[in-house]
Amino acid sequence: MKRRMRKEINIYALKKKANWVRNKVLDMGIKAGAAHLAPAFSCTDILVALYHGGILRFNPKNPKWKSRDRFILSKGQAAIALYAVLADLKFFPVSELNSFTRAGSRLGGHAENTVPGVEAFTGSLGNGLSIAAGLALAAKIDNKDYATLALLGDGECQEGSIWEAAMLASHHKLGNLTAIIDNNGLSAIDFIDKYINLDPLADKWRAFGWDVKIVDGHAFKEIIPALKDVRSRKSGKPLAIIAKTVKGRGVSFMENNPIWHYRIPVGKEIKSAKKELLFKYNQEGQR
Amino acid sequence: MKRWVLGMRDAFSEVLYNIAKKDKRVMLVTSDTGAICHDKFRESLPHQYLNVGIAEQNMVGVAAGLALAGKLAYVYALIPFATMRCYEQIRVDLCCMGLTVTVVGVGAGYDYSTLGPTHHGTEDITLMRALPGMSIFSPSDSIMVEAIARLSYKLPGPKYIRLDRTGTPLIYRGIKENFTKGAAVLKRGADLCIIATGRMVYNALKVSDELAKHSVKATVVDLYRIEPLNEELILNAINKFDFIVTMEEHFLRGGIGTLINELLVKNGKRCLVKNFGIPDKFCRQYDGKREYLQALMGLDVKSVSDTLIRMIKK
Repeated sequence: MKRRMRKEINIYALKKKANWVRNKVLDMGIKAGAAHLAPAFSCTDILVALYHGGILRFNPKNPKWKSRDRFILSKGQAAIALYAVLADLKFFPVSELNSFTRAGSRLGGHAENTVPGVEAFTGSLGNGLSIAAGLALAAKIDNKDYATLALLGDGECQEGSIWEAAMLASHHKLGNLTAIIDNNGLSAIDFIDKYINLDPLADKWRAFGWDVKIVDGHAFKEIIPALKDVRSRKSGKPLAIIAKTVKGRGVSFMENNPIWHYRIPVGKEIKSAKKELLFKYNQEGQR
Repeated sequence: MKRWVLGMRDAFSEVLYNIAKKDKRVMLVTSDTGAICHDKFRESLPHQYLNVGIAEQNMVGVAAGLALAGKLAYVYALIPFATMRCYEQIRVDLCCMGLTVTVVGVGAGYDYSTLGPTHHGTEDITLMRALPGMSIFSPSDSIMVEAIARLSYKLPGPKYIRLDRTGTPLIYRGIKENFTKGAAVLKRGADLCIIATGRMVYNALKVSDELAKHSVKATVVDLYRIEPLNEELILNAINKFDFIVTMEEHFLRGGIGTLINELLVKNGKRCLVKNFGIPDKFCRQYDGKREYLQALMGLDVKSVSDTLIRMIKK
């Protein structure tokens, strides 16, 4: 079974896709003059795994398809990456990405639910998991088989409302709900463990009644198996996937550096960022 | 006849229960509030009832998720917790997305007169009015509450309903009104126009009785839908008056007084205006009678009547 799954996943293609997304995000951000690049790079591989790794059920021709899985980008500041993924899947034209946050565009700096494929309007941190819990609860009440997934930032887990939602989800045995925590260890201005430490994060989720899996958030061969059965899990517990990530992943000078939360490269930085994002993986997906 | 003595929250719950019985999409979401008045609902319709615990932010967020899944969610809590603790979620999840969720707040003004400012509903109109797309209902008696509960079921988009916990004296008994217009002229007099909302409508009628003893005839308008304001109806009602009075059991800042003042300025109407509401302070006084606190803030019938007579005689 494991071997077959490994065979099905074309790691090379996923890495190539993630690289395209990062390049697109960089271009969009530079063009717009402002964007959350590093937060987007942090979860790019997770988004690619969800949409290209056979996890989410969706239909670009019918974004409101009733049986679609519901994906809530609770860390709405990463919308720039989600837009790139959705446009590439033909939810809307790729050319529209050039309009990101420009006058008249529907592609806002935080996830705009007017964009085809975007489920909820997010950007106020702490809101997304409650919305996801409501969707999952409705599915349970109505006996629908769609899965609900929310992507949270780790800094976002400092919001009390996340834990209110976590309690509700476990109390109501929402096994159809998955929270993926983009655990890059950084928030807007600093390293999380320097001011309000979240560790032990996995123990917190477990204590709130969730199943927990810890994966490398940049390794498709770990992310995809962890998410594979989100629609048909036997456990009555909601699932938290703690994805260990690197903020700014892909551009070395942005990686793990708080200053890049909302900075755009300028001058020589653009050149070196682009150089680092040249696709250079071999057929096995190794860099 | 018995149903007319129901308090506002009981009247609301009764109507919602009857709607929910027929429509499985209707869900009542509470934050550990409304035990007795919702007993029938939670016992008979357990799959449509959700107590999220003392967690109002999550209450509104979950309701947003339910709404996205096609449910018609009513969130229910005391006014401060239904509006302020979760203001962010109401603003972003409900109003930005324009979701059909009804926020029901209980305890208008000093309704919870022994519980202090933590439980007073004195800022909610201001806050809800700041949110684009939010409809605001402020019923003045239980008859109207029943009608508004039914209207809320048909009306799309985010809504806020401001209720009294207990019953107010009945105002609409025997009056034909479908409550779709947003305001009702309850009494006509030529000397001044009083526009009141919620519990203060009853006080306004009593004030008009007091004024009549001094040969001052007042028109009384019940402003029961604050947003969207029926500007045409209000302008027609106040058009011929040189003296306009507003009454609300709510902070003066941003309430219906502010709303009417804005309307007057916008339409270039010059006239004498007096706004009665709660002045700029928290009420740290306590009494079993709500009227005691109203009197402390100058909102009782005598204070309002005396002030108006003084102003008229000047």
